[in-house]
Amino acid sequence: MNISQEDARKSLSTVQDVIVQTHRAIASAYANPLLILWGVLCIIAFTAAHFYLAHAFYIFMVMNVVGGIGTAVICWVFHSKAPIQDSSYPRIGWRIALLWILLYVYVNIWLFLLAPFSGLQCNAVICTAAMFAYIVIGLWFDSPFMIVLGLAVTVATLVGFYLLTPYYCLWMALTCGGATLGTGLYIRLRWR
Amino acid sequence: MAQLDNIIHQPVRLQIMSSLVSLDRNEQVNFTYLRKLLKVTDGNLGAHLTKLEEAGYIKSKKTFVARKPRTFIKATGKGRDAFNEHIAALKEITHSGKK
Repeated sequence: MNISQEDARKSLSTVQDVIVQTHRAIASAYANPLLILWGVLCIIAFTAAHFYLAHAFYIFMVMNVVGGIGTAVICWVFHSKAPIQDSSYPRIGWRIALLWILLYVYVNIWLFLLAPFSGLQCNAVICTAAMFAYIVIGLWFDSPFMIVLGLAVTVATLVGFYLLTPYYCLWMALTCGGATLGTGLYIRLRWR
Repeated sequence: MAQLDNIIHQPVRLQIMSSLVSLDRNEQVNFTYLRKLLKVTDGNLGAHLTKLEEAGYIKSKKTFVARKPRTFIKATGKGRDAFNEHIAALKEITHSGKK
């Protein structure tokens, strides 16, 4: 069997493209509805926290409960629609969910151990940790977009924390919530 | 020296194997997803899958998910080995000229 260097190169490029598309399909089956859900919740919660700062703790608690229930429902509904099934191990989508849960637990343990923190400090730590997960997922799925987004929102969080303190919550609704919602919509439109 | 595989080299079959081999050994892909990914018809995809299955490179399984019939496909160990050798041969060609 004779093929040219050019044909071999094209075949290898095709293989790489299909591998990336397959990994993205797995991720997008769960990721885009989850990101859209959490993006909308972040925008609502941060905006509400700006206007009702005294109730911020309860606002974010409600956000987490609604988000947690919504996440479970989405995972259950999309399970049967996922393009990839795993015969014995959790699929990549579940591993991403596990990454988020572990990160959430890890951050909260450190916040508890190193307390006291102000509400603003806690929030900034949680947001930057969430963006760290974006970067990890970006590296995992070979998506520069996710990496850039994670870094950009991390920078935005620090800017809001240090330079826009009085408007921090509104700023985060725009950057963190907006970016999460935007990512979900991007995946929905571009990764299918 | 790695050898090219005539069965895998066909473009659609190369893409099918790329998708399947990129998954974990226990993971299997939905027929409908593969058809969308490769932008081929049911019949065309079915024919290529039959060729790969006859060679022992893939296994397909019909099942029901939420009462709807689904076909899932996964790469076998033999298929993974053949694919990896094919890729190694392609890499050798890109590095060393014609084969």
